[in-house]
Amino acid sequence: MKKNIPLAIVMIGGLIWVLWVFIPHKILSEDFMYKFYIPWVYVQFPFGVILGVLSLIMMHKTKIQRKAPKWQYSFFALGGIAITCIAGFGWGNQNGSPMMWMFTNMQMPMSSTMFSLLAFYIASAAYKAFRARSPEATVLLLAAVVVMMAQVPFGLKISRHLPDISQWILDVPNNAAKRGIVFGLGLGGVATSLKILLGIERSYLGGGD
Amino acid sequence: MKIFEVLQALDRRYIYLVVALAIIVPLMIPYNSDVVTTPPTENLYQLIDSYAGRSDKAILVSFNHDAATMPELFPMEVAIIRHCFERKIKLFTVSFLAAGAPIIDYAINSVKEEYPDIQSGVHYCNFGYKIMPMITALGMGDNIATTIDTDAEGRKLATLPIMKDIVNYNEMNLIIETSGSTAGGVWITYARAKFGANVAVGVTAVMAADMYPYLQSGQLIGMLTGLKGAAEYEKLVDVFAAYRDDYFPTGRPFSKEILRDESVKKLINITTQTQAAFTPEEYNSITDK
Repeated sequence: MKKNIPLAIVMIGGLIWVLWVFIPHKILSEDFMYKFYIPWVYVQFPFGVILGVLSLIMMHKTKIQRKAPKWQYSFFALGGIAITCIAGFGWGNQNGSPMMWMFTNMQMPMSSTMFSLLAFYIASAAYKAFRARSPEATVLLLAAVVVMMAQVPFGLKISRHLPDISQWILDVPNNAAKRGIVFGLGLGGVATSLKILLGIERSYLGGGD
Repeated sequence: MKIFEVLQALDRRYIYLVVALAIIVPLMIPYNSDVVTTPPTENLYQLIDSYAGRSDKAILVSFNHDAATMPELFPMEVAIIRHCFERKIKLFTVSFLAAGAPIIDYAINSVKEEYPDIQSGVHYCNFGYKIMPMITALGMGDNIATTIDTDAEGRKLATLPIMKDIVNYNEMNLIIETSGSTAGGVWITYARAKFGANVAVGVTAVMAADMYPYLQSGQLIGMLTGLKGAAEYEKLVDVFAAYRDDYFPTGRPFSKEILRDESVKKLINITTQTQAAFTPEEYNSITDK
């Protein structure tokens, strides 16, 4: 029972979606989708949020209690949640509200700073990775240089044809490789879905058997 | 060979220094560069512009990112909103990330100052933060007002003037997803494949390569790529829709003056505006060049 009921739920649930895609009947496309499934998803979502918030609070509380490494930062995380919640629930997120003030003056600059640091890491990694050690690596290096130069105004000063060459690289070799990856992912997804639907893949149920 | 070995052994701090200088120097010394528009940007501009002044057409911009990717994505969002406000195109906005909802307000408020006659609920409507993109994308294919129900200000969507003549993707026929990921795939899979909606994306530069297959196959009608894409769109909006300076404080007229500009001449085929103040002969002489 412990195994068969969850297995049956997954198989029936999955099968309904397969039918929904391939059989455009009113029962599936309207009654099931709009009257049953969508309202249920909306009901389920707030419970997920509550679970997430509680889990975060409990994790940081335990960290502080046990004085785990860098436990002091947990105060900032909990304080951040509390202040954001008070600002959001208390004054909303309209222009001029404390929430928007925090967003524009704290979250925006901090997040943008963190993201912009990526430029330094990417530049360093690319510098080390793009070595012209073999013919293949040289092709990669040249393609990268052309595409990058075409993306910046300075590239146009070198040649007006650079954007066209870059576009060709993106449209032909890049797309060929990307399509291969996407097809592989798609086939893998279908195979895994079928294995789950047919009850062959059961690792999601937990346990070892 | 030794030079390559030396270069490879270079301390990463020197690389950081070069990157820092590459960022700081252009900021300190303004460099007025020429922006060449690309077909993915032009196609998106054309489609949006073709909805100008129509009550039975609208676009949806999905802000699917947080503040981290704002430097790249925010300029394109502002440019699109500006285009819509300038050309009276019905605009809907939504975010499937809680952190994306304030960005919508920030973007709309940034542009709205220029357009005092633009009203929420009449010319644009912010759906705010919504959950489950797949569910929302599917639901809107049937009926937008029943799926979204209320906008970010808590107003019943069905009662808003903007919803007049707008039911589903037949009318809200263009969805633009701005994100630092491949999240636009949701719209391709559900809104495009099932309901035939037009989909475009605005992505960070590093994500562009992932979206090219969809662009080439026609599943995406257009794409804005990072800051360059935003600059291209800004240029098109400035040239054809919302150019303002000391000489034209209320906007440059789309007329002969604009066509004398060398950088504009080759762009003339892009616009769908019909209010141009030039003769057919003049138009032909320009487009034939």
